[in-house]
Amino acid sequence: MAAQDFNILLATDSYKITHYKQYPPNVSKVYSYFECRRKRGGTQFSEIVFFGLQYLLKKYLSGRVITEEKIQEAKVFYQMHFRQTVFDEEGWRKVLEKYDGRLPIRIKAVPEGKIIPRGNVLFTVENTDPDFFWLTNYIETMLVQMWYPISVATISREFKKILAKHLKATSGSLEGLDFKLHDFGYRGVSSQESAALGGAAHLVNFCSTDTVAGLLMAQRYYGCPMAGFSMPAAEHSTIISWGRSREKEAFESMLDQFPTGPVSVVSDSYDIFKACRHIWGDKLKERVIERSEDSCLIIRPDSGDPAETLIEVIKILEECFGCSLNSQGFKVLPSYLRIIQGDGIDLNSVDEILEKLSDEGWSAENVFFGCGSALLQKLNRDTLNCAFKCSYVEINGKGMDVYKQPVTDPSKGSKRGLLSLRRNSDDFIETVERGVGKPEEDMLVIVFENGSIVQEYTLEEIRKNARLLEDYMAPSQHNQDEPKSLEPHQKHIMNGVH
Amino acid sequence: MSILECFSSQSEISIQQRCGIINIQGSNHPFIIVINCICIISFQVTHYKQYPPNTTKVYSYFECRAKKTESTKIQKVKYDKTVFYGLQYILHKYLKGKVVTPQKITEAKEVYREHFQDDVFNEKGWEYILEKYDGHLPIEIKAVPEGSVIPRGNVLFTVESTDPECYWLTNWVETILVQIWYPITVATNSREQKKILARYLLETSGNQDKLEYKLHDFGYRGVSSQETAGIGASAHLVNFKGTDTVAGICVIKKYYGTKDPVPGFSVPAAEHSTITAWGKDHEKDAFEHIVRQFPNVPVSIVSDSYDIYNACEKIWGEDLRSLIESRSADAPLVIRPDSGDPLDTVLKVLEILGRKFCTTENSRGYKVLPPYIRVIQGDGVDINTLQEIVAGMKKHRWSIENVGFGSGGALLQKLTRDLLSCCFKCSFVVTNGLGLNVFKDPVADPNKRSKKGRLSLHRTPTGDFVTLEEGKGSLEENGPDLLHTVFRNGVILKTYTFDEVRDNAKIRDCDLEESVD
Repeated sequence: MAAQDFNILLATDSYKITHYKQYPPNVSKVYSYFECRRKRGGTQFSEIVFFGLQYLLKKYLSGRVITEEKIQEAKVFYQMHFRQTVFDEEGWRKVLEKYDGRLPIRIKAVPEGKIIPRGNVLFTVENTDPDFFWLTNYIETMLVQMWYPISVATISREFKKILAKHLKATSGSLEGLDFKLHDFGYRGVSSQESAALGGAAHLVNFCSTDTVAGLLMAQRYYGCPMAGFSMPAAEHSTIISWGRSREKEAFESMLDQFPTGPVSVVSDSYDIFKACRHIWGDKLKERVIERSEDSCLIIRPDSGDPAETLIEVIKILEECFGCSLNSQGFKVLPSYLRIIQGDGIDLNSVDEILEKLSDEGWSAENVFFGCGSALLQKLNRDTLNCAFKCSYVEINGKGMDVYKQPVTDPSKGSKRGLLSLRRNSDDFIETVERGVGKPEEDMLVIVFENGSIVQEYTLEEIRKNARLLEDYMAPSQHNQDEPKSLEPHQKHIMNGVH
Repeated sequence: MSILECFSSQSEISIQQRCGIINIQGSNHPFIIVINCICIISFQVTHYKQYPPNTTKVYSYFECRAKKTESTKIQKVKYDKTVFYGLQYILHKYLKGKVVTPQKITEAKEVYREHFQDDVFNEKGWEYILEKYDGHLPIEIKAVPEGSVIPRGNVLFTVESTDPECYWLTNWVETILVQIWYPITVATNSREQKKILARYLLETSGNQDKLEYKLHDFGYRGVSSQETAGIGASAHLVNFKGTDTVAGICVIKKYYGTKDPVPGFSVPAAEHSTITAWGKDHEKDAFEHIVRQFPNVPVSIVSDSYDIYNACEKIWGEDLRSLIESRSADAPLVIRPDSGDPLDTVLKVLEILGRKFCTTENSRGYKVLPPYIRVIQGDGVDINTLQEIVAGMKKHRWSIENVGFGSGGALLQKLTRDLLSCCFKCSFVVTNGLGLNVFKDPVADPNKRSKKGRLSLHRTPTGDFVTLEEGKGSLEENGPDLLHTVFRNGVILKTYTFDEVRDNAKIRDCDLEESVD
């Protein structure tokens, strides 16, 4: 049930208040869709993870979302905001009277967690009652915010691919992969709600997080009692509060307070290299060695060039603690000792760091990563070119395929007509336009209709859908950027390229 | 299987198997409501055990660090000063009043037990707060007035525990408080753009009329959540008055208040669907219909659905010309391009409209379109392209009176905590009854050094700002501390209206002194 105090009438771009007056006369249906457009010149992210719609449906769109109070509140508000009367009071009252405040809208969507190539329809929205043609694009603003959980889940999964590649190459297995990237992003996002949504999106791919809000979101909206884990860890204040000359005491206290289980200690408050060599590697060496594999010390650098700092730290630790060779011939620190790099991590630096480590003969097993803003904040709607466009209308009972096609930017062209999504005979996922798709082949599923959620997914199912393919590094199961082997007309159907 | 085994397990099992195996106690328990204060970043849950023994106070502060060394990225915009905004929202929404109940403590305990696979949650600490303070937070926050424009590298607010038992609380609230980076950054970036617009508007027209409507917020759909939309849009409205992000107005009304009924305005405008729904051959019919629907107010019509230049030349410039010419100066048609290179498109559109509708020369010798027609560029606008466009227009002798701008992602989303280096650090503790100035100073990055001791903010005799460290601010000769207590023990002690915020953040003549190219 959508939140009581949330007023959907105030949750749209202002100009949309005026759109009911702008559609052609006698329009009875407006049908729109959402995609992550392809950008010309190839794309960095060729496939996306679909995630987050269920949250929006449950929180904002389902059940009785219109009341007379909300209509009045909106009426008064828009009168002042536009400095004239333009709000469609009668239209909304009809929703109240005819549907008891439930939205006469149908949404069809790809199952959550599914991996879909760019340039394909991901969900469609249409009004189910001719009187409410204006409703489809009224909710665009809210639905387009899907760009965020989709983008976080996608970026997070791209991280996973990089980590998997290096882990497999340097250790022969993918063990521990799900804990390799820890969400550090809570403080660096723009709001609590974004933290929850972004945090949950990361948990589609990993299980380690410090963004507690994400856990609660996954629990409440995706049926997962506990989606992620963390460990006791220091922050600078808990080290520096001991005073500059007592860093060793601060470190030792960490080992005392958390004798079992992994513990992470930030070690760069003054000098990361001296801390590793003289404190961890000397004064507290015995205490470190006596920790078991289950209770490893995880040293955290937090400044300087990420790759260089890491290499120097690992070399110092090798000198002090030794190392062994794994089955692939790469060096691994003793099992009671690991490193977590949580500063300056993004897709490029993670790849670089692991590349350099491997060049120096070190296994990816030695390090964990923490990522903050690059995971949850350094993204925007242009990262995956997310857009919502009208593709079909009915006027005077007649259907018409509509689209935009700006001469100033062909990549902004939109799809035409009623859309469906299918796997073709070559096992490529493609969008079929102009209403010619076969219903039995359509991957889009009705998830919302007339105020009710009719299809739900658990985080468990979503994680299964989003898992890395065994042979992800082999030729893609998805559309190539330039499908050379296809006939021209096939290219035209796929991805709406015209 | 415990989390410890998860880390070290030899078997290759999937995420879902791992989490499924773990037996969650009370998994039929009703969903936990997102808890305000207990909902924090995981590792901070364990910090109460990490401070030195007999610590009775932790004192921390927030700043937008100055970059002392040259970064490798060349930034065109310096962001020397920041607008302080957004604390009041956080205090009202998350920190004031009774923030814990016995039920919340129990629920948090369960969540954290499963999350850490261990009992690390400070149940006793929270029960103490519940009993002694009826669930109100024993912390004190002192801050600069909202809307203040302060140079980088100065303390903006401080937080300290007021009860010796609750020393750990100061940094517990760090995660929530650090999110103030967002409204500060939006307001600051928005204000920098206002300075650019003000300079060029003044230079090309001789006045700053309608400056506050020159940058319209288009960002609602491009932010990461509804809550972010509200906060970000309100931050933009510190500097401007045009917005389509309704949520921002709701935040201002609820948490700040204005003397006017609303702090932000909009106008009727088309979107692509209301044009394309007419069909490709009926773009003119669409334009005409919409213009006629809104005769007495400005109306903005997106005109690039098929061909912006044809739309300007043929449809607006010929077919519908007389309809447009009959509109008053208060109700112009505002043509909206929405694709292509922003500067090139704006110049070409102006050129076409100039030909079709004629121009006059203003008192500064720049071209102005007739008052019934204007342009709004709402695609690809960020602080850098904004600068490019207004500079390009000036070069081609177009007054900035002709255009308005809309910005979405760049205004409200394309920002991070790193832009202004916002951070929260501990600077003073009391252990065994003795005060100690503490700080970090990583050898690999002098930019990350933090301030020491008790802090205060003062004005120098020359009118600059200075942060005094190590408690020096308490000496009388340094003048009054600009930080005011805004919150203590669960009570908000000082609030600012949005009008005060706007007043504090307004652009002054000295801000425009940088010469125009």
